[in-house]
Amino acid sequence: MTDPVRIQQEDFSQDAEIAALKASSKRMGGIATFLGCARDFSEGRDVSQISFEAYGSMALAEMRKLREEAISKFDLLDARIVHRVTTVQAGDNIVFIAAGAAHRAAAFDACRWMIDELKQRVPIWKKEVTPEGESWVTQHP
Amino acid sequence: MIKALFFGPVADRVQTREMDIEYTDGMTLHDITHKVGMLHPGALSIVSFIAVNQEQVHDKQTALNDNDEIAFMAKFSGG
Repeated sequence: MTDPVRIQQEDFSQDAEIAALKASSKRMGGIATFLGCARDFSEGRDVSQISFEAYGSMALAEMRKLREEAISKFDLLDARIVHRVTTVQAGDNIVFIAAGAAHRAAAFDACRWMIDELKQRVPIWKKEVTPEGESWVTQHP
Repeated sequence: MIKALFFGPVADRVQTREMDIEYTDGMTLHDITHKVGMLHPGALSIVSFIAVNQEQVHDKQTALNDNDEIAFMAKFSGG
């Protein structure tokens, strides 16, 4: 069984993550997932690649805290957060979040809350590579 | 020794990812930020978060210990 919170270079399997989430409890009636992927266009420019950098030890600790908080706040049965830190091409997977609860409302709410909090709290930065050069992204909504 | 760490856009401006600063008794976070600010004023202007040993700290008067790790971070943009 893989760790429910991970930072990794390699791609992840949504099926494997969902299977691991489901294996944690048979009381799970709703699973909500968020998949963040790389776009080929941003702020009016073509984007050929996005490279990520993280403060690894703090990012992982913060993601673990975030998962624990989500489980407690939304009464989840389980949750998983996986973020890639590498260079990705347009269309590639970046981040996967899954929230499993007894009912759908808590799963939806928790999933949205986790990705919003991740963007605010987890020390990861992305740099977009465009024909005009490279630039660090400040923040996307 | 205090280890100062720089990431992403801050590292680009400082042109290094790591800097060792001599520890002296009674040193505070302010002393370190002041030193980094003197050396790289352009970098400090985009620092939004500072962490001491992986925990965000807001009080510049926070006392430091030898071997502490201070991270200077711009706004996050993961996800």
